[in-house]
Amino acid sequence: MSIEQLVPLILALPLIGGVINGIFGKNLPKQIVGSLATIAMFASFGIALLVFSQLHEAKTINLFTVLHLENITLNARLLVDNLSIWMVLIITGVGSLIHLFSMGYMSHDEGYYKFFTYLNLFVFAMLILVLGSNYFMLFFGWEGVGICSYLLIGFHYSDAEKGMLNGLAARKAFIMNRIGDLGMLIGLFLLLAQFGTLEYTELADKIIIDQVPVTTWMMFGITLCLFIGATGKSAQIPLFTWLPDAMAGPTPVSALIHAATMVTAGIFLVVRSNFLFEHPGAEMTKDIMLYIGLATSLVAAFIALRQNDIKKVLAYSTVSQLGLLFVSLGMGAYTAAMFHVTTHAFFKALLFLGSGSVIHAMSDEQDIRMMGGLKSKIPVTHITFLIGTLAISGFPLMSGFYSKDEIIGHAFEHSTLIYVLLMISAMLTAIYMLRMYFVVFHGSFRGTKDQEHHLHESPPSMTLPLIVLAVLSIFGGILNLPGIFLKNGTHWLSHHLAHNTRGLDLIQHSEMSANTILGLMAVAVAAFLLVLIITYRVYVVRPQLPVNDEQLRGWELTSANKLYFDEIYNTLFVRPIEWMSVKGHQVFELVILNGIISGSTKTIEYSGELVKKWQTGKTDWYILWMVFGIVGLVVYYLLTVNI
Amino acid sequence: MELLIIPCLFALIALVVPSNFMRQYALIGGAVSLILSVVAMVSFDVTGFKTIFDPHMVTSFGLTFKMGYDGMSLFMVVLTNLITFIILLSNYNRTLATNKSFTALVFLMQAALVGVFTAFDGLMFYIFWEITLIPVFLIALWFGSSERKKALMKFFIYTFVGSLAMLASLMAIKASAATFAHEDLVAVTLTAKAAYWIFAGFFLAFAIKIPLFPFHTWQPDTYTASPMAGTMLLSALMLKMALYGMIRWLVPLAPEALPDMTKIVVVLGIIGVVYAGVLAIKQSDIKRLFAFASISHVGLIAAGAILISHDNWSAVFIQMANHSLVAVGLFLAADIFEQRLGTRNLNDLGGIAKQAPKFAFMFGVLALASVSVPLSSGFIGEFMLLKGVYSYNWLVGVIAGTTLIIGAVYTLRAYQLSMFGAPKASPFADLALNEWLAFLIIMVLILVFGVYPQAMIDFVGPSIDNLIQTIK
Repeated sequence: MSIEQLVPLILALPLIGGVINGIFGKNLPKQIVGSLATIAMFASFGIALLVFSQLHEAKTINLFTVLHLENITLNARLLVDNLSIWMVLIITGVGSLIHLFSMGYMSHDEGYYKFFTYLNLFVFAMLILVLGSNYFMLFFGWEGVGICSYLLIGFHYSDAEKGMLNGLAARKAFIMNRIGDLGMLIGLFLLLAQFGTLEYTELADKIIIDQVPVTTWMMFGITLCLFIGATGKSAQIPLFTWLPDAMAGPTPVSALIHAATMVTAGIFLVVRSNFLFEHPGAEMTKDIMLYIGLATSLVAAFIALRQNDIKKVLAYSTVSQLGLLFVSLGMGAYTAAMFHVTTHAFFKALLFLGSGSVIHAMSDEQDIRMMGGLKSKIPVTHITFLIGTLAISGFPLMSGFYSKDEIIGHAFEHSTLIYVLLMISAMLTAIYMLRMYFVVFHGSFRGTKDQEHHLHESPPSMTLPLIVLAVLSIFGGILNLPGIFLKNGTHWLSHHLAHNTRGLDLIQHSEMSANTILGLMAVAVAAFLLVLIITYRVYVVRPQLPVNDEQLRGWELTSANKLYFDEIYNTLFVRPIEWMSVKGHQVFELVILNGIISGSTKTIEYSGELVKKWQTGKTDWYILWMVFGIVGLVVYYLLTVNI
Repeated sequence: MELLIIPCLFALIALVVPSNFMRQYALIGGAVSLILSVVAMVSFDVTGFKTIFDPHMVTSFGLTFKMGYDGMSLFMVVLTNLITFIILLSNYNRTLATNKSFTALVFLMQAALVGVFTAFDGLMFYIFWEITLIPVFLIALWFGSSERKKALMKFFIYTFVGSLAMLASLMAIKASAATFAHEDLVAVTLTAKAAYWIFAGFFLAFAIKIPLFPFHTWQPDTYTASPMAGTMLLSALMLKMALYGMIRWLVPLAPEALPDMTKIVVVLGIIGVVYAGVLAIKQSDIKRLFAFASISHVGLIAAGAILISHDNWSAVFIQMANHSLVAVGLFLAADIFEQRLGTRNLNDLGGIAKQAPKFAFMFGVLALASVSVPLSSGFIGEFMLLKGVYSYNWLVGVIAGTTLIIGAVYTLRAYQLSMFGAPKASPFADLALNEWLAFLIIMVLILVFGVYPQAMIDFVGPSIDNLIQTIK
């Protein structure tokens, strides 16, 4: 089959899986529901691999016209190039493993079929997002993943204790995303007003080839609006506070949506729009992006230092890593960002699934203070979690080491200050990750007797995905090796993505000298080792276990309280709007606006006969006749008076 | 002509049908009209015009009786018959369903609405417009809640003022036209000053009926005081007369006033979007909450209706259909709470998702459709309308865009407070068959139009172009 036939199949399989499970899943046995969803994913991944191996030139595939009007045409059309198919591989590949993991993890859940329905539909929406050939399709998928995310964060909405809280977390996520979406929507309107199209290739032609004159302000506006959209979905300051709350969802959801795929949609958006962001007018947006990313990276890493919920640590870690990615994009290092998106998908999915396995073993306990000494109890989870921890912390020669180093290398060329700040962020990452690892897996068990009794390694359907992801986390760096290791085939992923992705082929990066690269790597390794030694001493040799928040002081208290972002937002936005809603109704609507009309009502009421009839309750026919009367009068008037 | 007469006949016969057969009779009546209009739709040439009544005579004062339909009119007729059928279906297991006068009034309403949408004579339009008032008014008065009288008084005064204003404008423009026929009234060229007054008269009538800020204060009271079917008729159909009226009558009759008036209408519409949206956030009566939500949604549609262009008007029709479907669904949901638990107060609801999963699913779909998610018909409609308003004025567009956020806040709040957490009252019966079917029809249509809105555009597009041509 040709690529034109295969690609729609990649999309169709998760959709079909979702629809079948959605309609019939309730009456099907769990194994069939889970298998169906998982097989759909693996099949989709298989086809994606096939397309990946056959794809040379970028192709567009027309599906149908959604809307054709005078000034706007919205097409359901796909664009298959190395960038989109690479994203598809990540989504379906990691997605397949997470589906497989979920079969075990969710096996006791009442809403099993619903879970797999939502998960499949999420993948469908995410694939639309990356495969669409225009911003309308992207926006469609963008909103679609938002809905699935909402449904999955609030998945346990019927829980007697936490149901409402889960719902609140889901709503917060949805609304914060919608704030970003508004920015993005305006960006699309600006694009339409300026260029009259939303198709990527047409826009790229107009900007790169025709060089259509655009004012700096216009370009700044367009790119800034798109970036605002990205801050919502990819959890950047100021719209990041939803992501840690989103951990209310089941852990595989956190792995798939809130770590590996959906939250990287903002990165994809910028990479896809590189022809806009590389326009000279977008220079200011890129700087904003860089500094927002940098600030987010540091703030989130700082908060992660004193979180005690295993998933919250990982959530802040994700926010921090996304910040790093935006720094990369702000420097124009698009392929470096894509490289880190890829490795991050591997190790962050691994860490989340690993935390899921830990939570599963610990009878749904998520507090690391209640864990400890788990390394011998759940050995597979332990080893794979360790690999994930090392990969994200930048242990030499593992995937995160290369991908992070590439971004840090760009920062070194860009500015020393940014380089130093990124190194600090990287060290903070290593600190909180190693802290968590040591506290969870080393020392002695601190949970209840019941929990200790139930401790068990997860079934193969859960450990297998961990092993696969661990292998990828170790060797993922091979995808984009820098020049010092190889003579040929360096930066394979960068070249591959640039090969047929519009705009990326025009971006030139000078290869750093071997000495610089080695020097930077040496510094990174030294920093990592320093952190390793310190954390080992603090948490293993003479363990200072995390204490309750009440006992914290100074910076630790600030970190544990998440820098008070939620409190600030509540005071600045939530409460004033609620106040407006209540007062607007009580005062403006009921007293002022209503006063005007009820004044006239009273005038009529006091004017005699009508009132008496009105108050006796026998007014039905009166009103009827009154209405008839109007019509009758009109007709009579018209019949008699000839205008 | 049968589109108009059949509902009238059903209304009359309803008075002699035995009560125990009334519910089935109502459904059959709804289905017959719906099928007739679908048949008319299938055989209709979308670029053409079909006359359904034209005696080719003019009375001494200019009445021509002209009635017929083009694509836009037929679209509204089909929508009317579809929504009427869904309303009757939703109402099937309510006690009201066996009531003779109620059933007769619903059919009367249907006939009057068809009349409004097919009238091509200004006076006919006005007369049908007034007739629609009778059924909704009586349904609320005879079958409404205890607070209805005060609410209806307000409703009546508002509507009365609006109607008189429209009548005055109609008379004024007729003074310079040969007859009341649509084409004759459109052909009149007005001075700017005259156009303002004529515009203002029509606009006041429409703004009250839609309702636009600040003419809306009758609406939440009347919606909550009416029984379910009455609220549905008001929100899903009656207000569409005004939106349709803006496109068919207001803009074509007094385009000379547009340069100055457009601003006012758009701004009022968008103030309503934000104002009613913010007020909806903290409402505890779920029906009142949806009433404010409706004001918020239609404000945007009204803004689109005044911005004359092929694209904007297409979006208006998409969004009218979407709003009708969603409004019926949401008010059905609100009534299900009231009917099962005797309360609509969100603070007394909770945990119903666990007790009534089918209801939770359908209500969830409606809630998501109401916040215009992809795959729902509102997604495209809202996208296009916002784009239209944005092209008109970027700042107003951005303010209108906040509906994306505010809408999510109040809709999800209402859904979560009622459905999530532990059950507060027990038991809660899940959907009855007729309720489930009503939701299902709504859901399928929302999905179909969400994926392929072009079907609607193909239908109304040519007649929109024709109308715009006559204006220029």
